Amino acid sequence: MNGFSTATLLILTVVAPLVGAVVAWGMASRGPHAVRQSALVTALVTLGLVAILVLRGLADPALRSGGAFAVSTVPWFTDGPFDVRLSLGLDGLSLWMFALSSLLTVTAVLVSWNSVREHVAAFYALLLLLEAAMLGVFAARDVILFYVCFEFTLVPLFFLIGIWGHEERRRAAVTFFLYTLAGSVLSFVGLLAIVVWNASHTGQLTFDIAALTAGVRAHPLPMDGTGGWLQWLVFLALLAGFAIKVPIIPFHTWLPLAHVEAPTGGSVDLAGVLLKLGIYGFLRFSLPMLPEASAVAAPWLFALGAVGIVYGALVALVQTDLKRLVAYSSVSHMGYIVMGLFALEPTAVEGANLQLVNHGLSAAGLFALVGMIYERFHTRSIPNLGGLAARAPWLTTMFVLFTFASIGLPGLNGFAGEFLILAGSFQRAWQGVAAEWRPAYLLLAAGAVAGLVLGAWYMLWAVERVFFGTERRAADSHGHAATGAMHAAHADHGGRSHDGVFAAPAADLEWHEWGAIAPLAVFALWIGLFPGAFLGPASAAVRGVTAAAEERFAERMHLDAPAPPHAAGPHPRAAEPIAMSDPRTAPPAPTAGQR
Amino acid sequence: MRSLLLVLVPLLPLLAGLVTVFAGRRLGPRVHLPAVVGIGAAAIAALLLLFTAGGASGTGHGTAAPVEHTVELWRWATIDGALTPADGSAPRPLSLGVTLRLDPLTATLLVVITSIGLLVAVYSIGYMHDDPDQPRFFALVSMFVFSMAMLVASSSFLLVYVFWEAVGACSYLLIGFWYRRPEAARAAKKAFLVNRVGDFGLAIAVFLLWLTYGTLDFHDTRLADGTLVPGILGAARLADPTAIVGGAIGTAICLLLLLAACGKSAQVPLHVWLPDAMEGPTPASALIHAATMVTAGVYLVTRCAPLFVAAPGALAVVALVGATTALVAGLIGTVQTDLKRVLAYSTISQLGYMFAALGTGTLGGFTAGIFHLVTHACFKALLFLGAGSVMHAMGGVIDMRRFGGLRTVMPVTAATFLVGALALAGVFPFAGFFSKDEILAALHSRGWPDAHASGHHDESPAAATPPAVRVATWDRRAAPPLIPVASGSAASHRAVAVSASGGAAADGPLDWLAGPRLYRTLFWMSLFTAGLTAFYTFRAVFMTFTGPLRLPPEAHGHGAHGHSPHGHDDHGPSHGGHGGHGATGHEPAGGHGAAASHESPPVMTRPLVILAVASALAGVVLFIGHGLARFLAATPSLAAANVAATAVPPVFHWDLAIQGTLAAAIGIALAAIGHYGRRSDGPSVERFLGPLQTLFARRFYFDEIEHAAVVRPLEWLAAVAATVDRVVIDGLVRSVAHVPVALGGVVRRFQGGVLQRYSVAGVVGVLGMLVALAWNLWL
Repeated sequence: MNGFSTATLLILTVVAPLVGAVVAWGMASRGPHAVRQSALVTALVTLGLVAILVLRGLADPALRSGGAFAVSTVPWFTDGPFDVRLSLGLDGLSLWMFALSSLLTVTAVLVSWNSVREHVAAFYALLLLLEAAMLGVFAARDVILFYVCFEFTLVPLFFLIGIWGHEERRRAAVTFFLYTLAGSVLSFVGLLAIVVWNASHTGQLTFDIAALTAGVRAHPLPMDGTGGWLQWLVFLALLAGFAIKVPIIPFHTWLPLAHVEAPTGGSVDLAGVLLKLGIYGFLRFSLPMLPEASAVAAPWLFALGAVGIVYGALVALVQTDLKRLVAYSSVSHMGYIVMGLFALEPTAVEGANLQLVNHGLSAAGLFALVGMIYERFHTRSIPNLGGLAARAPWLTTMFVLFTFASIGLPGLNGFAGEFLILAGSFQRAWQGVAAEWRPAYLLLAAGAVAGLVLGAWYMLWAVERVFFGTERRAADSHGHAATGAMHAAHADHGGRSHDGVFAAPAADLEWHEWGAIAPLAVFALWIGLFPGAFLGPASAAVRGVTAAAEERFAERMHLDAPAPPHAAGPHPRAAEPIAMSDPRTAPPAPTAGQR
Repeated sequence: MRSLLLVLVPLLPLLAGLVTVFAGRRLGPRVHLPAVVGIGAAAIAALLLLFTAGGASGTGHGTAAPVEHTVELWRWATIDGALTPADGSAPRPLSLGVTLRLDPLTATLLVVITSIGLLVAVYSIGYMHDDPDQPRFFALVSMFVFSMAMLVASSSFLLVYVFWEAVGACSYLLIGFWYRRPEAARAAKKAFLVNRVGDFGLAIAVFLLWLTYGTLDFHDTRLADGTLVPGILGAARLADPTAIVGGAIGTAICLLLLLAACGKSAQVPLHVWLPDAMEGPTPASALIHAATMVTAGVYLVTRCAPLFVAAPGALAVVALVGATTALVAGLIGTVQTDLKRVLAYSTISQLGYMFAALGTGTLGGFTAGIFHLVTHACFKALLFLGAGSVMHAMGGVIDMRRFGGLRTVMPVTAATFLVGALALAGVFPFAGFFSKDEILAALHSRGWPDAHASGHHDESPAAATPPAVRVATWDRRAAPPLIPVASGSAASHRAVAVSASGGAAADGPLDWLAGPRLYRTLFWMSLFTAGLTAFYTFRAVFMTFTGPLRLPPEAHGHGAHGHSPHGHDDHGPSHGGHGGHGATGHEPAGGHGAAASHESPPVMTRPLVILAVASALAGVVLFIGHGLARFLAATPSLAAANVAATAVPPVFHWDLAIQGTLAAAIGIALAAIGHYGRRSDGPSVERFLGPLQTLFARRFYFDEIEHAAVVRPLEWLAAVAATVDRVVIDGLVRSVAHVPVALGGVVRRFQGGVLQRYSVAGVVGVLGMLVALAWNLWL
């Protein structure tokens, strides 16, 4: 592979799942097992390519200084005034999510191994299409390509939910599709407004994200009474799409429905990657391109994040459907990320960016395990489950592990992100806001810490009821579980069991389930023990995109209140006036690391 | 060499745990080997460390030069420029290293943890003999020893938090070890959640420490550019008491740390998890919920001694919480009938004792707290393992009303248990006597400072020598700087002695509490508690071991090795794994008779004997020449200027020793009267106490109150939130989305083989629309 430039490699990586999708589709006539195998091979090859890319990227000094690598540009349509290019590349912001997308596709393929029995070829083709779209979103360096991929993630998932979902799949699919589409169309209008604004001020119609960022920094969108409120409107337009995607409360109700009805593979991708697209959007567009509006909105989004943590946890507490419970836990955990992002404090923002990956791993792991439980007992109802630990000790062990990761037990990944988010949030609350904001900020930060207690409560309570105690027969398990081992032998050979009659899988984890879950566990531990290795490459890029909003925020806060509580001297930035037309072409140089 | 040993102490148990996890099933009956060998080797390493950790002992008490040795293993995370100091200096990184430290405090606790861990592991070979889940048990015990060793060897607040939670996780998994029993599962969850409330305090304390001091390390570090960052508990800061933040912020930090300590160390009101934690296997209870983990709070407060001394109000709260807990738990302990629960409440009570000692804020108090921690670890582990031995023989029965007179059938257990009981009751010359005396002396010195100053220390208060029996505080009325620089920056301080007349110049919000009157009250409470301790301990001894032999029917069933703390009824389900427990009747290794109860096998009794020797001797050995106190005084936290200033010359307080012994004697006598003088119509203690008996037996209704005040409202709130979610938020969305749902038919039509066409058509359509839009906008 060394013969290829990283740019070629990146193109290959994004295209590979598309090819794999066609191959999987073509395998339909050779039976479901051939389809599965081909899909697995595609997912693994893609993962391998991603691994090579990541390794080469880490060796590339451009990455650590906040730049992009593996950049390639192919003219797409350049007729007339348009200059839309298929521009790909990776930077610190996208690297880990790009890698996670390919890792979770392997998980999604493997968890669907026996659970998907109808239209197998279509299922896997869609799953791989979804992967291509996810990889495309993170690799896109131009607005149009980004948006196309962003929207295109909806289509495969719409079908995955609508066709292979559970009882209420149609309603879930349509709700999911329309809800998120409605938001993201607004986002697109917002993005186009940025493009047009940039074009009218620089005289150059470009869709390139980096060029746009530099352009609107030089010519900020108006954000005061005199020049109009365009920046604010654009921010709200972007917010509509991104907030729904995350989801930030109160735009979250599509999520539990979609999760509960989605097939396991779909849930894995949905929780692991698609929710993060909203945050990624904030990082890529809102914060760097609209820093003034971001600074104005930051306290409110910070508050929504903190409230979401507690709210999601409380709602999760009373759920009786295990999958729904995990879905609400996602609402709660995404609250941490939103909060960390809009704390606009380096520590919190880096933590939030790490937590994107962390939540992707632990939520995907939990959804995968819930799916495995469903396959065995045909129920997700917590009251109907019980005592699973005795029958499936390894399944239990893994569930407890991901539970620990999810509730932020140190040594696992969730802690690393949450700690940094909370530390940064406290720092913001303590010294970085105007005096009148301070009590509210402190209260919200403390509430977020209290979310750790609530999070442990609903997760451990669920673990207690599902896995511990005495065994309870699932209501509709057809008595298969007792002879599970026999059927499992069957299932191993390609799910030749007849449609309609479910062969109960083995009591404990099978090979493909291990394959789905073990890599996630390894990464959960790895990030938990060595978060520095994952923070470092992303640091400069993350700081680069948030620096402008941070500065605007500091200006706002310190102008509102001349004497910040704990600063002994005048703040160096306080004297600087807000000057909208001030050219700020160069983003502040990221602090030189001493890692 | 020292660094290597320091790393080995936690590493070996970790490896043992991993080996047990991955090869446990293959080891078969030798599954205990990795744990025993790993923890044993760690114990040897810890002992060796003990000899390297001591400092060149200074000329007098409290003047020892601080001894500290740190090893950075790796850098966990670094956030550059995370904090901009208010003084305009360069932004500072949030630099989180995984650093181990060695100092006398750490060395002492490492020895306690690994040696008790080893004895418990050996004992468990016998106790867990026929449990099918032995690999899980030994793996968890090893992981616990690892986590606990890391907790006391960590050199940053972040790592303390990390392993604070890690020991909690091990505790959770061990309490819920017999997960098939709903009680065990519930107790495990309860323990974790109550501890999480404490962790909430620790987390916020950590954040405040970071914001106040600009680092989380205990030790001093250097940045890449060579700037010295004084650690929170590092030599640079501790030499200069003005660099420690007191006042409102200091008090807040200390109270949050105390909240954390209350969770882990089961202090009122967060003590409710510990009695329930007895659902776990008894050896785990002995190790985690008696000897080591529950003392983590004592460790934390001692480690943070300079911070607490700078916040006298918080110290007073520590003392108050401790003495109250000691008393309340002692009272509850008097009416318990479950032998393990008596011991559990006794643990809570003794931990309260330690907190009362720490709360005095004097060097003598801190060392007394740790002294009691060490002796308590010996005798409480002994008592728990003894109770386990009883339970083992009684077929899982642990209700003291159902057996009696066991001294004849279990002589070793009875004799060692008696030694433990004497030590716990504080009878001369057993271990508890000496450590309890030190605690009473520390409280006394704060309650009657003049008496101590004149009676034991013939020096006028105006002398130039370090002030005796004084708690120095520093005026921090001015807003503390964001990051106090190690020296020189805050020159406008003045030292104020909080002397006998009371804290006139105190400036923390709670400092008014810290007067001698409080400590006098606490002293009397503690003295009374000493009597209570002797009473309930000997009540248990008499009920279990003396009188005519009485055995429960469970004890006669052959093969009924009650190695799980439950009655006969649920024995079956909980051991379903190895099928027909009673029928297949696994014979024990010891070859003892099948028909009647019996002494436990040697693998269980030998650790008892060792612990009994330790319980008998540890006190006097560590007390001679104030060896432990002198040794500990070289710990940087205790050698800190403001802590060392509180030192008094070591004096043996005859008067206090006699008072303590009297209290113990009265307690034992009352227990004897209560036991031997009772009629056949019921125990006399209960009759004597009348309505109080109900209050004690219901544990002061703590569980009920907390359930009604915290759990219920939250559950109610959750139900409301869920309703709002479903009806209001989702309702709005649904009403908006009503029309398009009809479009769902689209899915139905296209779900066959024309997927691709639809996808492509859809994307092209959307794109076309958007391009048109863009075109229009641009024009």
